[in-house]
Amino acid sequence: MPKSVYITAPRPTLEEMEKSLHISKARKRALQPLVDELKAKLSHREQEPVTSVETEKRRKRASAA
Amino acid sequence: MPPPPDRNAVFLNIPYDEEFRSLYIAYIVGLCQLDLVPHLASEIPGGDRRLNKIFKLIQSCRYSIHDLSRVEVSVAPTAVPRFNMPLELGMTITWQNLHPSRHTWFVWESEPYRLQRSTSDLNGTDANIHNGKPEDVLSGLRSALGRDRPPPVTQMLKVYGLVDSALNSIFLRNGTSNPYDRSVFLDLCSLSLSLGTFFPPAKPAV
Repeated sequence: MPKSVYITAPRPTLEEMEKSLHISKARKRALQPLVDELKAKLSHREQEPVTSVETEKRRKRASAA
Repeated sequence: MPPPPDRNAVFLNIPYDEEFRSLYIAYIVGLCQLDLVPHLASEIPGGDRRLNKIFKLIQSCRYSIHDLSRVEVSVAPTAVPRFNMPLELGMTITWQNLHPSRHTWFVWESEPYRLQRSTSDLNGTDANIHNGKPEDVLSGLRSALGRDRPPPVTQMLKVYGLVDSALNSIFLRNGTSNPYDRSVFLDLCSLSLSLGTFFPPAKPAV
């Protein structure tokens, strides 16, 4: 088996991926507040680059302190 | 003959243990960021013979990732080696040998050259090495499952950090602390997919 492949299949849409996983609309609705909260954090973090998971951990520790 | 596989689906054959949690989340986030759909045996409800359902799930996926990094037996006196992952890899290899155009499998390990000792029949198989680090899972997925305009690893790391930080909220929501529970898995996938839409698509290579 190869160590890597190049995928030429068309990219699925978000809806197609959710359908493949049987993610219900109710589940999406219930998760929306969390998604909004995380997107807000992401928006804030876009100001500075993230270089590693260690950086993320340091950031978490700092914000918890 | 089963229907053709989903060309963007990836079966994840991984250990379901607490120590593997961060790598598990990295696999989910990484695949979702690459517009691939992760599938897990825990998606399968009980009932009929579980192995048959797992085999159907493998057949429905164009790719599979077999993480053989947990070969150790824990120190607990009742511990036994876990054979589920090698068993599912064996099933996958058989399926792929019978229908080479329908399936491609990959082996992942945390240590270079250990595969040759733990599973010498796989000699000649080039394993992807993640060193037990989520960032290496993400960059490894990006290399192993290449496609046009992949997201930068920095973006994948940002999403990984956020999804990981949301795990306790997801546990609370689902009334469990098992990250491999079906509902938790679906929430992790849904969150990873939704956060992926935050970033504009990468520009095509010139």
